[in-house]
Amino acid sequence: MRIRTIALLLTVFGMLVVFNSAYAQNAPEASEKGKEVYENSCAHCHGVEGRGDGSAAENLLPKPRDFTRGLYKIRSTEAGQLPTDQDLFDIITEGMPGSSMPGWETALTANDRWEVVAYIKTFYDGFKENENPPKQITLEGKIPYSEQSVEIGKELYVELGCVECHGNVGRGDGTSAPTLTDSWGFQTWPANLTQGWNYRGGFDTEDIFKRFIGGIAGSPMPAFEGDSFLNFGLTAEESKRLIELENKDEMTEAEEEESGQFYEKMDTAVDIALSIKEGAEMSTTQMQTYNDAMKVVYEKSWHLANYVKSLMPEERPEPAIGNNVLRSQYVQGELPAFDDAAWETFEARYFPLVGQVVIEPRQFNPTIDGVHVKSFYNDTEVVFLFVWDDRTHTTGDETDETTQKPLEDALAVQFPVKVPQGPTAPKPYFLWGGRLPVYLWHWKASTPDQVTELTAKGINNAETQEAQGELQVQSAYTDGQYKLWVKRTLKTDDKKDLQLEPGVFVPIAFSVWDGSNADVDTKLTMTSWYTFTLEPVPSSRRFVYPPIIAILSVGLLFGLRAFVQRRNTEDV
Amino acid sequence: MKTYLLASLTLLLACCYVGIVGITFAADSDAGEMEMLIFPESYKPTSGSNGGTISGVVKFEGDKPEMKMLEITKDVEVCGATEKYDEALVVGENNALKNTIVYLIDITEGKDFDKAAKLEMDQKGCKFTPHVQIVPLDTRLTMLNSDRVNHNVHIFSTINTPVNKQQTKNRRRMPLAGVKKAEGPVSVKCDIHGWMSAWIAYVPHPYFAVTNEKGEFTLEDVPAGTYKLGYWHEACGTNNESPVEVTVEAGGTVTQDFTLKLK
Ligand code: HEC
Ligand code: HEC
Repeated sequence: MRIRTIALLLTVFGMLVVFNSAYAQNAPEASEKGKEVYENSCAHCHGVEGRGDGSAAENLLPKPRDFTRGLYKIRSTEAGQLPTDQDLFDIITEGMPGSSMPGWETALTANDRWEVVAYIKTFYDGFKENENPPKQITLEGKIPYSEQSVEIGKELYVELGCVECHGNVGRGDGTSAPTLTDSWGFQTWPANLTQGWNYRGGFDTEDIFKRFIGGIAGSPMPAFEGDSFLNFGLTAEESKRLIELENKDEMTEAEEEESGQFYEKMDTAVDIALSIKEGAEMSTTQMQTYNDAMKVVYEKSWHLANYVKSLMPEERPEPAIGNNVLRSQYVQGELPAFDDAAWETFEARYFPLVGQVVIEPRQFNPTIDGVHVKSFYNDTEVVFLFVWDDRTHTTGDETDETTQKPLEDALAVQFPVKVPQGPTAPKPYFLWGGRLPVYLWHWKASTPDQVTELTAKGINNAETQEAQGELQVQSAYTDGQYKLWVKRTLKTDDKKDLQLEPGVFVPIAFSVWDGSNADVDTKLTMTSWYTFTLEPVPSSRRFVYPPIIAILSVGLLFGLRAFVQRRNTEDV
Repeated sequence: MKTYLLASLTLLLACCYVGIVGITFAADSDAGEMEMLIFPESYKPTSGSNGGTISGVVKFEGDKPEMKMLEITKDVEVCGATEKYDEALVVGENNALKNTIVYLIDITEGKDFDKAAKLEMDQKGCKFTPHVQIVPLDTRLTMLNSDRVNHNVHIFSTINTPVNKQQTKNRRRMPLAGVKKAEGPVSVKCDIHGWMSAWIAYVPHPYFAVTNEKGEFTLEDVPAGTYKLGYWHEACGTNNESPVEVTVEAGGTVTQDFTLKLK
């Protein structure tokens, strides 16, 4: 009985949601309420007049949007069109990951969010002048994800030139990446496509599809609409044939004619597409030609969206906290070398980074998302592999304007000098220690085969150790990613070094600098303390537990199912 | 009595006009507005026959500046085959100033556009040619890609819909839809090759000219009358605040030269 009441409630709630979204297609008239919401919640970033120049804007990048130009990134509409009200409502609700734009789902009621949609539209006259609703991108005919589709998409990624900005494997490290600016002249970076969680507008295949077809207005990212695609107007077979003909050294007369027909067909399709854009009326046959051409484009676009989707993990990796500590795996004998396949045998632990905002100079706009770490050890040594994405390889050729120091990419791994005894014992201050000192490995891109050992009592109080131990180092930068391999003995003779022992939980933290983001000194991205341990040498018991646990959980599942089934039958 | 009435009416109208202009200027205190071309409210193509010609030379005031070399950061084989210079300020022999738009501000009637003219802007050696392009309303501009590298055509319109469209290396000709509203000049960029820069002016009448290497311009078939002659230059700005008046006679030629300095 109770279950039925809940079901009823849920249905009513669902209907409410549906009604709400029907109303949603049209935000209410701009009202005093909308203005009030805006001035209370948005103006300190977006500015009272919507110019994106609120008091908090100065330190932010990307800048809060200037609403007076009608440029919106996240739209369900075609290139050059304004967003729908629903688009605005959704982005305000969910916020824009990877930027400072917060989501307002909990802080504002749905009603207030609709009021503020209406209000921000008043900053740009184009919303009023538009008589027709904006044209939305069709999402019909989705091609499901498959390896084959991903393969086709991968070719399109290169053919269409996504690679210029987003780089070979999508890490946002394309050769055009360092010089991009947005429509307001501020520096901007291509999205790292392997980090879906930082996409502004979501990383479902549909989101990706809409983003590149409609373009990201206000950013350098172009729209890839109809005739941006190669051989627009031809079917897949015709297109293949034309490429074949074009690749011939010499064409026969018949072949000349054949290719000529293809060109004519393409010109016709492009002409129709442009006429539609210019607002001309088209005949039914012309519309048919256009729709046929667009069908091919949409198919290709789904393949491309599937490829982009394939570049990222399902979710952002969980940070290495709780049970998720960084465990160094024991191996007998030689530790794996830099590109040993052994590194691929298990998942890395992930340490998300944040900008350092405690001490001047601060970093409010970090560009490095996190560090992936794996480790092995044997009876005498420990080895680490640190992997992090950085769009540019900066080695100190340029200097920082204020400090005159070289700007370069770097990483520091931080341990306490003395391992705290037990979980409640005090750790050194996470910003490179204080009263309790820390021990650091400092690596710089300009000296890629070297790690300097430091001792620090505060971030501005670090010293290079006099006795530099025997650290072996190897590193590489490829396709927007650094890999750094560091090997050390478990124990050293130097008292200022960390001494390692299996089973002991050791605090570990990271600092990363991105030279091209003007990171220098305390302007950096970092983590607070996490935990690292040399996983004790496996005993035979380890092989007994997992099967037992597996059997137990299966049993539990069955029990639960039987229980639920019984409840249901009783209820009906 | 009649003249008196007429005069006071004119005065009244003039006051209103000044008032309105005053207000619009106050509202649009944005410096950017001053850098735009001025277009007539409406334009009617009738006939341009029996018109006169306005021509002249635009020069740069001061020492001939050094051309700024551009740093080619990608696709060097194609883009860096020849040295590239910033075309914001191209001063030739005798201080001739290239790429200045010279035009009639207040013409409302005259010849029609030359419909046969080919409107093309090439991307060659990762440079836009021409650097300044006049595009009539409702007319397609064809972007050429002679480079066999990927470009993106990014037109920063604010009155018309902005355009940002990829032109892949395999797409030699890419026509762009015509636009409905007079605007410009608007900046054109290729984000893939950040140094590429050009300007497009979308215009409602054909009395626009762009100066050549010698700084020369010619406006032909101008119906007899007195006009305000305006100019625009990327680095030297406009004469929007004090355009020059020229009077053209049927079949005659008037010369009007300009000397511009950096803004
Ligand atoms: C902490 C600063 C901050 C606050 C507060 C804030 N925003 Fe934003 N907002 C941003 C930033 C930064 C961006 C641009 C992000 C980007 O371009 O990637 C943005 C972008 C937007 C966009 C553009 C979305 C698009 O598709 O391009 C909208 C709409 C928006 N904000 C609405 C609001 C509203 C409404 C509020 C108040 C309820 C609000 N913002 C409060 C920082 C803020
Ligand atoms: C001229 C450079 C450029 C090209 C070419 C380009 N992009 Fe982008 N792309 C960008 C930039 C810059 C951003 C970041 C936009 C922002 O949020 O400011 C971006 C963002 C994205 C995003 C993230 C969207 C979000 O919600 O944050 C996706 C997905 C994407 N691009 C896919 C593509 C695909 C697919 C192609 C090729 C069809 C492509 N891009 C071509 C520059 C480019």
